[in-house]
Amino acid sequence: MKRRSFLKALFAVLGTASVSSFAYPLIRYLAPPGSSDMDKKVVLVKADIPVGGSKIILFNDKPVIVINRPGRGFIALSKVCTHLGCLVEYEKDKNRLICPCHAGTYDLEGNVLSGPPPRPLPKVTLKVEGEQLIIG
Amino acid sequence: MAKNKIRDWLEVRIGLDELLKSQLTEYRVPKQINVFNALGSVALAGYLIQVISGIFLMIYYIPHSEHAFRSVQEIMTRVPYGWLFRQIHVVGSNLMITAVTLHMVTIFLMGNYKRPRELTWIGGGIMMVITFLFGLSGYLLPWTQLSYWATTVVTSLPTAFPFFGDFATRLLRGGDYVSGITLTRFFAVHVSVLPPLFMILMGVHIALIRRIGLSSTPFGKTDEEKRPLTEFRKKTHPEGHAYYPYLFQKQVLMVICYFLIMFSIITFAPTFFFPEEASVPADAFKTPENIRPEWYFLAPYQMLKLIPNKFLGISLQIILLFVFIFWPFLDVQKEKNIFKRPVLRGVFIFLMISWVILMWWGRR
Ligand code: FES
Repeated sequence: MKRRSFLKALFAVLGTASVSSFAYPLIRYLAPPGSSDMDKKVVLVKADIPVGGSKIILFNDKPVIVINRPGRGFIALSKVCTHLGCLVEYEKDKNRLICPCHAGTYDLEGNVLSGPPPRPLPKVTLKVEGEQLIIG
Repeated sequence: MAKNKIRDWLEVRIGLDELLKSQLTEYRVPKQINVFNALGSVALAGYLIQVISGIFLMIYYIPHSEHAFRSVQEIMTRVPYGWLFRQIHVVGSNLMITAVTLHMVTIFLMGNYKRPRELTWIGGGIMMVITFLFGLSGYLLPWTQLSYWATTVVTSLPTAFPFFGDFATRLLRGGDYVSGITLTRFFAVHVSVLPPLFMILMGVHIALIRRIGLSSTPFGKTDEEKRPLTEFRKKTHPEGHAYYPYLFQKQVLMVICYFLIMFSIITFAPTFFFPEEASVPADAFKTPENIRPEWYFLAPYQMLKLIPNKFLGISLQIILLFVFIFWPFLDVQKEKNIFKRPVLRGVFIFLMISWVILMWWGRR
């Protein structure tokens, strides 16, 4: 009897070990490989974006909007809405950013004005150097 | 003569006579049965139509982000009768979801989820969820603006949960954004993960129905389920009708209606399920205005919009789903007849009305 329960336990342990040893490779297989963040700076020409204008760039593979705000200068904000990932649009005449999916609105600092987004839009570092804008 | 020979041949090998007798004529169904009892078989027929038209589509469809949109356009315009099979698949998916929903609603109204049919209900509930997952995963495949952004929103949902959320979203998408990797993942899920799961559940579901026996409607006279039930007892209906031809005819009738509705839509309203954004190829850098999900997700979508806290909104929906699936264990009253249960009836009507309002609201 003792021998039997020992064998049972042994089988249980071995079985669990062999099944779970597949779980890790499985998760790793399904999980995407880490993104190759390169933090490459993007350089724009200041004159390309007039006051009230905007430009969309790719920074680290993520869409970023650079806005020349009337009276307050340039800012670079992530375009990805913090709610569920749609891309916000710049509404020039209303001085705000609006998300088409669930009507979240942000001011031109990226702060949430209304709607469901939980966090402000992340800012991307932007430096003005002479005639150039350096993003990143 | 030849027919008889085939019959005899089968008789020797599978016991045809006995099989037909036990499954068709000796299988009795309750007397008060009506067309609503045939909705399950409509859902089954709907599923088979999806399988067949889906296989046809797979012959021309290319699951790659650079070719998907064009291959679907080609199915619609160049492949002979490609439009027909695509329409059947698209309209069929919407109709199948309707049939499944109606099936669940009528079963609920008749209280047929009650003991001893809890497992049948739960299996049905999971099949309903899988049906929605079919809709969701299939939606991305044409790689249009609509499908791209709807999928972006849906795959963002797990981010509402701390710790595991972000990882789950990346796992679903195969990266930070919806991309070609997401497309192949969803394709694999749509054509090779969900179908076998669905088939297994369906087999169990039907086997359970046959084993337990159909429940009679609670609106009739006696209802024997009120007696204590401590052991397995198959419900036979000795005074009922034979399954064949009585219920069978009703099932065929309902399936014909299903086809009728499907081909009416294809003929007279071919663009009914194709909004404008569904004819624009996916653009990862522009979210179209007025992006909204398919009608069957409109109510949860509107709820999500109304509840300002993402975590709360999504948790609430998951809780509601669990309550729905495990309802037989929460509803402990023995009374099956909803007309004798004012509270349940009130809740049901309230839910129905709020669902319609949310859906209508989310539409704009
Ligand atoms: S995704 Fe922007 S408000 Fe929901």
